[in-house]
Amino acid sequence: MNESCRVETVRDGDLAVVRTEGYINREGGEEIERCVQLLLEGGVSRIVLNLEKTKIVNSIGISILIEVLEKMMERKGALAFCRLTPTIDKTFRIMGLAQYAGIHSTEEEARSALSATA
Amino acid sequence: MSPDGPASLVPRIREILTAIGEDPGDEDSLLARVEEAAAAAPDGRSSAAWVAARLLGRSLKETRFELKERVLELESLYDLGLSIGGQLDLDRLADEILLRSISLTNSRSGALHLFDGDRPILSRAFGGALLSPEDAVRLDVGTEGAINNEAGTLPTSGVWLSECEKCLVVPIQSETRRLGVLAVADKETRDGTIRDFFPSDARLLTLFATQAATAIETARLHREALEKERMERELEVAAAIQREILPREVPTFPGLTIAAENRSTRQVGGDYFDFFPLAGDRFAFVVADVSGKGVPAALLVSTLASAIHLQIEDARTPVELVERVHRHLRRFSRTRKFATLFLGVVHTPTGELQYVSAGHNPALLARADGAIEWLPATGRPVGIFADSTWTEERAVLRPGDRLCVYTDGITEAQNPVQEEFGTERLAAYFSRVAGLPVREAASTLFGEVLLFADAAPQYDDQTLLLLARDDAEPGPASESA
Repeated sequence: MNESCRVETVRDGDLAVVRTEGYINREGGEEIERCVQLLLEGGVSRIVLNLEKTKIVNSIGISILIEVLEKMMERKGALAFCRLTPTIDKTFRIMGLAQYAGIHSTEEEARSALSATA
Repeated sequence: MSPDGPASLVPRIREILTAIGEDPGDEDSLLARVEEAAAAAPDGRSSAAWVAARLLGRSLKETRFELKERVLELESLYDLGLSIGGQLDLDRLADEILLRSISLTNSRSGALHLFDGDRPILSRAFGGALLSPEDAVRLDVGTEGAINNEAGTLPTSGVWLSECEKCLVVPIQSETRRLGVLAVADKETRDGTIRDFFPSDARLLTLFATQAATAIETARLHREALEKERMERELEVAAAIQREILPREVPTFPGLTIAAENRSTRQVGGDYFDFFPLAGDRFAFVVADVSGKGVPAALLVSTLASAIHLQIEDARTPVELVERVHRHLRRFSRTRKFATLFLGVVHTPTGELQYVSAGHNPALLARADGAIEWLPATGRPVGIFADSTWTEERAVLRPGDRLCVYTDGITEAQNPVQEEFGTERLAAYFSRVAGLPVREAASTLFGEVLLFADAAPQYDDQTLLLLARDDAEPGPASESA
């Protein structure tokens, strides 16, 4: 199994899609945090986090994602998740991430939801 | 803002936190927390109340997060239980168990190894090699598991867990045996350090290991059920093939009445009988019993039947046919399986019988006048010894005589006290049923054997071929049981 988290970004105006691959633990979470920080500084306000290639996430990674979400909200931005495994989907709902960010089946659906908030 | 800076707020904050039951921690850590909270104050105007509220807010947030983590652990155990109930793919279950174990203990890596005795059967690793399958087999962590928060070596076994600082290993075991091990390593923290595993981590991992053991046992039972089903299907196919080998109906020959029947104790058996019309008012019949049981025996029956069918046209005498069959079996049955067989050739107008008995049970000739004669073996079974020879014997079936050729499943049928039906009972039976039509006499014999066995399980096939010379007996020419 591939474990180290890699992040790929595709920007479209003030919306960006961040695709992750691998374990979202402290290291993976911080990689996402760095990436989001750069996007925010570059004028992006809406971010889709596509976790299609992530099969595992731990609570340290979740706490970092919560910090990322808080930062987005402070800046009046919005974040949405998509392509979660059933286990990660349930984890995010239990840990409260779904309260602040939408969870969608597809990237397109997540982009549409964020576009509606613009 | 306090004119003396955040440090001046520390005693008051300590008082507030202690009063509401919060642990303020040591002086340095409290000062650090106070400074951090004060720095976030709007317009830099921090007060003791503001800083205390900020610290309590954070503490509440952490407590709620930890509570959600416990809910997540319970939900994971519940989900895994459901997965085990509905998921029989051991590979996928192993992945799920390993990933959940790593995730819920905040570990960086992990491994799951399953073995059958000393043989590794499934290995999964995440985040590094950690533990080889061979080391997993010899790893002794007792029944409780082991936490090693000091280094990568587990004290009980000396097995080195590579690529990790701290590890936690628990056994996966059923009630009677060890099925594998589940290991996680390097519990991480938010600040990037590796912390000790807690006893609660060991308890959680043990619960996962218990779930894994249940899954493995369930998957094993499922695999065995599938294997049994597959074998049953194969047996059904083999039985169908064998039914095609045995004649569907008994042929008719002028002046003779014949009944023949085979009863297998398994779906496929090792008995065989057949008839072959020959030129010159003659016909041949064969009754055979091959060694072994089940599918291997059925395959040998198939080989034997093919050999007889192939050779019967070319063989000039019964002995030559038996010799050819013998050579054929030796050539094509590499496992040196063998068969006993009784081969008879009857001249229908005269009732003259030529026969070769290759190690077969003595055939019974019940004369019309009530006398019983036995036709013993005239050589060894076919398929074993290269130097075997056979002789041909002759007898004459007079009107009213009955020839009974059978397999040992009949005479060696046992009752609950291990007595055999035997040749004496067989002879007595034929003396008693002399007046019965041939078909009835044949089928009643099976009933007689069944009655004698008194529900004791039988392990050998039973075959009977009963051939009667007409005249003394009215009725149809031939009968098929």
